[in-house]
Formats: sequence, structure tokens, C-alpha cells
Amino acid sequence: MTRPDNGASATSLLGRIFRIKESGIILAILLMGAFIAVSNPNFLTPYNIQVVARQVSFIAVVAAGQTLVLLLGGIDLSVGAIAGLSAILGAMMMTGGGLDPFLAMAIAVLFGFACGLVNGVMIARLKLNAFIVTLATGEVFAGAILVITKGYAITGVPKVFQVVGQGNLWGLPIPVAIMFVIYLGLGWVTRNTPFGRNVFAIGGNRDAARFSGLRVERVEALVYGLSGAAAALAGMMFVSRMNAGQPTIGASWLMPSITAAIIGGTSLSGGVGTMFGTLLGATFMAVLGNGIVLMNVSSYWERVIIGFFVIVAVIVDLVRRSGGGWRLPPWLSFGRR
Amino acid sequence: MHDATSPRLDGERPTVLELRGIRKVFPGVVALDGVDAVFRACEVHSLVGENGAGKSTLMNVMIGLFRPDAGDVLVGGRPTVLSRPADARALGIGMVPQELNLVPHLSVMENVLLGTPPLRLAGRAIDWREMRARAARALAAVDADLDLDAEVAGLSAARQQSVQIARALAQDARLLIFDEPTAALSIPEAERLLTLVERLRDEGHAIVYVSHRLPEILRISDRVTVLRNGCKTAEIPGAEATEAILVRHMIGREMVRAGSAAAVPDAQPILEVRGLGRIGEFEDVNFALRPGEILGIAGLIGAGRTEMARCLFGDTRPDRGEILVAGERVDFRHPSEAIAHGIAYVPEERKRLGIFPVLGIDENMTLPILPRMTRFGGVDRRRRAEVTDRWVNEFAIKISGHDQPIRNLSGGNQQKVILGRWLATGCRILLLDEPTRGIDVAAKFEIHRILRELAAAGMAILVISSELEEVIDLSARILVMHEGRVKGETDAATATQERLLTMAVDRAAAPH
Repeated sequence: MTRPDNGASATSLLGRIFRIKESGIILAILLMGAFIAVSNPNFLTPYNIQVVARQVSFIAVVAAGQTLVLLLGGIDLSVGAIAGLSAILGAMMMTGGGLDPFLAMAIAVLFGFACGLVNGVMIARLKLNAFIVTLATGEVFAGAILVITKGYAITGVPKVFQVVGQGNLWGLPIPVAIMFVIYLGLGWVTRNTPFGRNVFAIGGNRDAARFSGLRVERVEALVYGLSGAAAALAGMMFVSRMNAGQPTIGASWLMPSITAAIIGGTSLSGGVGTMFGTLLGATFMAVLGNGIVLMNVSSYWERVIIGFFVIVAVIVDLVRRSGGGWRLPPWLSFGRR
Repeated sequence: MHDATSPRLDGERPTVLELRGIRKVFPGVVALDGVDAVFRACEVHSLVGENGAGKSTLMNVMIGLFRPDAGDVLVGGRPTVLSRPADARALGIGMVPQELNLVPHLSVMENVLLGTPPLRLAGRAIDWREMRARAARALAAVDADLDLDAEVAGLSAARQQSVQIARALAQDARLLIFDEPTAALSIPEAERLLTLVERLRDEGHAIVYVSHRLPEILRISDRVTVLRNGCKTAEIPGAEATEAILVRHMIGREMVRAGSAAAVPDAQPILEVRGLGRIGEFEDVNFALRPGEILGIAGLIGAGRTEMARCLFGDTRPDRGEILVAGERVDFRHPSEAIAHGIAYVPEERKRLGIFPVLGIDENMTLPILPRMTRFGGVDRRRRAEVTDRWVNEFAIKISGHDQPIRNLSGGNQQKVILGRWLATGCRILLLDEPTRGIDVAAKFEIHRILRELAAAGMAILVISSELEEVIDLSARILVMHEGRVKGETDAATATQERLLTMAVDRAAAPH
């Protein structure tokens, strides 16, 4: 069976580009990048790009896990706290515990997975509300950080461990490489594996998924586990970057992780979104933040502007979903279908 | 206001609403093309047609939700522009929608006067006493024993509908539109509703009645307008209408009923149920289902049929009794275990339990079998396309592409996708719960044909339906359930609708 074209423009190159779901956000990044590059030549220097990419990688890794949860129709408000607690435990294991730092990192990621699994089991098995469960466990984990550290950083992280957050691989910062591996991996998993497709099915219609024989609870618990693991991984990357287990690691990561996904086209009601979109959303936010610094705008404006773009993203999502009943003028609709 | 003393004489009934040459175009579709209709006081004017014929669009024009692209709307003889629902409401046009729009956690009284609460203190506060009086007045005509302070969420579907009708009456509606009002009601409740509609008509209201259930239409209508593909194909006085005439105008040709059901094959049962029960749902259910057999389960809504099917499918676990599949005792803890034993379930609520609205047809069709068609851990897209093509062709499903979101398909085509989903799993037992509810006539007979062919090929099929005609048409044997118990079994060849109905409602005949 051949697929009919969706419009005359589909055959032209430009038409094909605009049929990519993420074309809107790509266009926005390119326009903004061009604008910043024109106003400040430092923007496109390799050094600056490295700085921006390194900065984005931590939140992007957290946002990858968050996207899985959002696709499922849930939300994980505990990612920042899981990142922080896992990072503290990982740092303690490699300093006080004297464990091999990479083994400590692996254990910390497993610990993050376990924390997420606790969320997932409460949400899937006990049918508790995801917002409330993760809000509560987030408080527990964040509180545990303070109980353990009393507010002091854990220092003395072995030098060999610095490579994870500060090293380069053929000019590519290692955290950025980790980020790409995560996104390529999860991108493939969500698009191509039964597990990934089940996530979309459950997010699209949870009850129908059960009646199609899917083990909804298992998938759900696993996804929250993965979200916790991703957060813990980002936490450990940050320990390496800072040479210390700061008690504030992750404290500001929650909102950007959700924002990146939403700007990237993930629907908060579940079942719609892509990993690639989230990566672009995170990139958009990083470029915006960098541009504000480079253009000497007060950095206080950053959150105002990001908030504005979240509204834009949500409106675009609404327009796409209503599919015609509620149209933006053509010059604003970015050719999405 | 209507003149309640005027006799119900033809030609003298005042016209409440008139539509002339209504045309409405949506991108790519002409939804209505030059439709005329006159709605008079003291008259039930029914609209029938297949899904997509334009009934919903026409209703939306009447209530001011859609503005027609051409044509006139006349209210009380005067050309009127209804640009929003509030305009229609102010002119006495009220609607009882199929999906009720009540506020679940407010009281009956507040729901009756929703949006138009009586005020005091110069409009600054709600006048509760007046609200109670007005709500009581509106409800008196509909369901006098309803508690004004009850929370709407706790009411049965029938009583919630009463609240919705009372709201339209409280707004002084002279024209009342009923959209599939009996779809969610049990037989006695539907009977009560029809009586109420007749009474409202006799009190001088103009009634617009929309339903898929032709026997109801025949019983209640003074006039029937038939729509097909956005055009009016016939207007028939109620007294002259028959089912055959209506169906002919609806589908544009004669409907040939397929022959009656096959006989019970002589084979080992593939599904056997012994003394099955779940507290508060159903008890002591016994039957055997053989390959190639269609077993019908008739009964009223709330008789425990859906609960029993879901228990067979592993959604819930029985409290007593046993289930045997091909002679082997099974105890399912999850639907996936039932599926592994070759059982499939097509649920009644297609939107809520059947489809994944934004996913493509291919994904909707293959979700349960994805783990079986992977290559290197990923889904083999070529295999998925093959499986999709197979069932799309087999059932002649009309689609524009494999990745077309299923929500864009008609109900009949969606149901065929779900059937394909289960057949792709290689199931041997098909449990179908109201398989043709909300599906238009032509698609319904096609699904019936498919089911007969599947049975002829050896599938064991269990059909739950509240439409007695459907059960009689399809099944070889029929079980009748009442209040969680099987009240009787009968041969389809000798069954009549009257007999089944008596078994389904008559308490005295229950064996004890």
C-alpha cells in the first residue's frame, strides 16, 4: 500500500523538511543562533560552543528520562532530588568508602534506578497519583541529602574521575558524548522496540493498553526507574565536573527537564513526543541562556523569556492536536501537521 | 410560548424551527448539502442516517455551534442567525446530548440551573431558595423523586439524563433535541424515556429525536427525516415508515440479511465455564463454547455480562468456579495470560478501552504481537506492514495510510482494526462485547458477515449484545442473563425477541 502525499508541498525539498515534526524548533534555534552570531562574534567560536554543549548535557540527560515518563502520561518531580542524593552517595563511596570511582558511579546510577523504581511501584501498583508520589519522594530524597551532608560538600573526589565531566574525546566534551549516546540509545528504543512502543501506547490510552495484554504496571515502574537512573547519571557527571559532591546538585534541574521536553513537542497528556525533540528543546534553552550572557542582557531575563517560549510551545501543541479547528496564521505554524 | 390547548391537528401545529437549504462544508467534506426540515410543536421529528450522514452537523447547526455556509435558519418563522449556543438557548432550543455535560461534583439542583442561577442582592449572591423552587419545577415533569441535593456523580446514567432534560426545560426550551438518548440506558429505563418524550410532545414541545435504534424511531416518530452523505434522502410520515423503508433510504439500496446462524458444531468445547462467580457481579455461570460456534449472551445492561467477559479475559479474577480452556484449567491473573491461551476480548467502550487514538493503524493493529516480530531487538517494520496489509485487505478497511491515526477512522473501521489486532494474535476464542454499538448499519452487517465467516473457519465466538435482533441473527445458542445469573438457554432458531425479553426482565420466571 502506498502512502498518499499530504499536500503538494510534500514533494519539494522544503516541503519535506517542514514535514519533520521538529522543524519548528529547529528553525527557532537556527534563527536565534543566527541573530546571536551576528550581534556577537564570540558565539560561534569552538570554545563557546563547547561551553554551551557541556552546560546543556547535564540537564539534557535528566530530560531524557523525564521525557520517557511524560510519554507514558506521568510526571517525575523527584528527578532533581534523585540526582542530588545519588551524587552524594556516589561521592561518599569514592572518597570515604575508597571505592573505585567508576564502580561508585555505577552503583550510584543503580541507586537512582532503585529510587525511581520506588516511585514507579507506588504509582503503578498502588495506583497513587504520579504528581503527588514524586513530589513527596522528591522531598524525602532532598531532605536526606541535607541529613547526610549537613549542608557541606563532599570533597576529595579522585582525580581520575574528572574525565567524566571535564575530559574531551577528539575535541568532544565527554559529558556531551554521554548525552549523545543516551539520546541515540533512547531514541532508538522509543521508536523501534516493543518496550518503546508500549510506552507510547500506555501514554495514549492506559486502559486500552491493559486490554491489549500489555503489562502496564511493569512498563510504568521500569520507566520511572529509568528516569531515576538518568537523573543519577547526570548527578555523577556533575560530581566529576565540580570535583565534589555538592549538596545543591540537581536542585535546579527539575523545571528545565520538563521545560526542555515541552518545548521539544512532548505532550504533558502522554503518548506524543520524541527524544530528538527534547534534545532540541534543551539546546534551545542553552543557546538562549548563552545568548543572553553574550548580548549583555541581564541574566534575570532568562527565566522570563523561557517561560514565554513554554507558552508558545504549548500553543503550538494545542494547534497541532486540534488539527485544524484552531489555526495559527500560516506564517507562524511552521508547516507542522 | 406554545399554546397548550391547541389540538394536535396536522398543519395547525405551529412551526418552532425551520431549516432551509442548509449547507455546511468542512475541509474536504460536504457535511450537509441543501437540507430542509421543519420542526413543529407537538411533533416528534426523528433524524436517521448512518454515521457520517450529517446528523451531528445538523444538530450542531440547530444549537448554534456551527454556522451554515448557506441556507436559512428560521425560528418562529423569522430568519435568525445563531452564532453561538447561547443564542439558540435564548430562543428556546435545548439539547440533551449523548455525552451528558454535567458537573459531577455539584448537586442536582445546581446542575439543573447551571449557568443561569437565580440571583438576589442585585445579582451579587445566589438565591438558593428560588433555585430550589425552579429546579423542583423543572424536575417535576421529568423525574419527581430525584433528590435536589444529591451529588450528580453518584446518580445512574438514566437519572443523570433526567437532570440534563430538566436543565433544558428550566431554560424554557420549546424545541428539545435528543441525541441517542437510549444508548446508555437499560430496557426499562429506555421505555421510561420514550414515555417521557411522548409526554413532552403532548405538552406542546417540538422534539428532535436522533437514534440508531430503528424500532424506537418507528414507535415514537410523527415524522422521520433520513440523511445520507449530507443530503436529505427522504421525509416520511411516522405512520408510513417501516424498518425496510428507512434502511433503504439510509444506505441507498436494499439490505439483504445474511441467513440465520449456523448450527452448534459437534466438537470438544474449547472454553468451558463451571459455576463461575464474582461477588456482587455474577454467580453460578455455566456454559461450554465449541470451535465454530457463535454463542450469544442476551440480557439487560447491568446483568453482569460485561463483568463475566472481563473475568474470562483475566481482567478480574473469579471468586468461585472454574474456567477451562481446551480442557485445561486456567487461572488468569492478567489479560496477557488469557491472550497467551488464545482468548481475545473486544470491549464495549471502544474509545476508552479499544483504541490508541493518536497512534497509527499499523501500531493499533500489531501492539499485542510486537514482541513476536522483532529483529535485533527492534520492531521489524516490514513484517508489521505485512500484517497490517493483510487485515486491512481482508476486512476492506478504508484508510489513507498505515500511519493514519486511528481516531480519524469511522467507528466501523475502528472496530475492524481491533478485530484484526486480535486475529493477528492467532486467537481461538473471541469475546465480543456489544460489537456493533454506535456503528452504522452497513458496517454492522459487514461485521456480522465477518463474524460468521470466522465461525465457519473454526473460531469460537461469544457475542454479548443488548440488541436482541443481533443476538438472534448471529448466534446458534443464546444464554439470557439477569442480575448476574444465567436465566435460561435457548436455541436461536426458535428464539423470538419477545421471548428473550421476557426471560431477561421477568423476575417470576427465575429458577430458584
